[in-house]
Amino acid sequence: MAIPTKLFAPCFRHQKLGLFLIIMVGIMVYVATFAMSAEATLSAITFTWDRGMHSRLTVEIPATDDESSTPQTDRVQQVVSVLHAMPQIATVRPLPDDEVTRLLKPWISQPELLKVLPVPTLIDIERKPDSLLTAEDVRQQLKSIVSDVRVDDHTSWLSDLNNLVDGLTLIAAFVILLTGITLIIAVSLICHAIIATEQETMSLLHVLGATDDDIAHHFLIHTRRLSWPASLVGFLLAMASTALLLYFLRHFADPSMLEWSHWMVLGAMTFLVPIIAVIIASLAAKTSVLKLLHTMP
Amino acid sequence: MVKADNSTTMLTVFEGVSLSYSPGQKVLDDVTFALPSGGFYFLTGPSGAGKSSLLRLMYQAEKPSSGRIYLFGHDLTYARRDELPLLRRQIGVVFQDFRLIPHLTALENAALPLRLAGADEDYLQRHTKELLTWVGVGHRTEAYPSELSGGEQQRVAIARAVVNKPKLLLADEPTGNVDDETAIKLFHLFDELNKMGTAVILATHQHNLVERFRKPALRLSAGHLTSLASSARVGEV
Repeated sequence: MAIPTKLFAPCFRHQKLGLFLIIMVGIMVYVATFAMSAEATLSAITFTWDRGMHSRLTVEIPATDDESSTPQTDRVQQVVSVLHAMPQIATVRPLPDDEVTRLLKPWISQPELLKVLPVPTLIDIERKPDSLLTAEDVRQQLKSIVSDVRVDDHTSWLSDLNNLVDGLTLIAAFVILLTGITLIIAVSLICHAIIATEQETMSLLHVLGATDDDIAHHFLIHTRRLSWPASLVGFLLAMASTALLLYFLRHFADPSMLEWSHWMVLGAMTFLVPIIAVIIASLAAKTSVLKLLHTMP
Repeated sequence: MVKADNSTTMLTVFEGVSLSYSPGQKVLDDVTFALPSGGFYFLTGPSGAGKSSLLRLMYQAEKPSSGRIYLFGHDLTYARRDELPLLRRQIGVVFQDFRLIPHLTALENAALPLRLAGADEDYLQRHTKELLTWVGVGHRTEAYPSELSGGEQQRVAIARAVVNKPKLLLADEPTGNVDDETAIKLFHLFDELNKMGTAVILATHQHNLVERFRKPALRLSAGHLTSLASSARVGEV
């Protein structure tokens, strides 16, 4: 290398500019990595929900306390038989009582109440792939057995959820873009400050025959050296925050529903953030120094 | 870069060169002269006469407001920015205030031009140590500038200026911050360098030294070139 490594080290220590650079890079990498990993996590959760719910319908048979009518278990049995007979349905699964209890638990915290309340029976059905069967088709088929049967399609609320996640993805992309721009501006300002205080050294280096590229490259190397550890710390903190987020969301999705290749892509994309941040910071340093040097003789 | 036919044998040629830092205030006004290669020249004149500015034009720290400057036969008016480093590497500069980098040792300071030129590390170490010994500070190679006396600092600065064997050495009041005895020793050093083939242009306002060494002298006064003393050795434009 043309210029000795320690030539500009004191410039970066001057007025703690190097420390400022380290903190800025660390914060920017944290924000960008967390934005990306949080968005990836939400997308993954939505994906698992979408995949799990897209082909499913839920049949709800209200409980009846009328002793003159058909008993609830018979009504359920009849409905299940009709559903099994429908060619467009792949699976029919009445939800066991304990699963219904678990679903209702957030709204009815006292288990004793569930025994006295008229809790409906739920039947989970899965349509065959490419089936055009709608909730209304199923309801029409079951109406003769259970007049007040309800059939829920999950498409509507999944669509709302997908829209929400799409919006969050855009916001995350905007946050990442904003952190990138902020990083470029911060590094440029630091380089401006260093050049301003070290103008005499820059002039001397020019007089001694240094090229603009020599000097700018030296700034690139220093910035890269300071950015790496800062970037790594920011990345690890963001990963810890994401792990915390996953922990809080553990009841809402099962990460094992995603294939390993999907996790690999998400991990690689997230791991690219600190690497790209270091590259951006280093190139921003070189570019801004080159611009400044061109204004000097 | 344009090569001037009439100035290929000249060290430097100034043709009607003027320099202004602000409108209407000329630091140099229509300066014209030519210096043949290999000589030793004094540049004299009172403080503020424009000596430093003329040297700055030669090492391209400034661009002339008007006129043309040829250096080693190259027209600096048309020199591209990326050509300047190669030209500057043929020039050594000694400053009155030494301009050593405080956090580099004497050896690192003196070796800087060789590093910038991409010299081999072994050669760089060996040659710079030899040179520091030659200028009389071989025992202080690992000392930082703040640990050196004014004379020692100037010797390191001279070593830095000549370490890559320049064609031209420019010295701007090199003895301004040292005592008379050291000044005379430094002048002898410049004279020896000149005898080894490096042209020297030395700006000074110390008349006693100019008279003692009897070298051709350009005299500046208020931005004008007023005389070319010992003109027999100074080329005509």
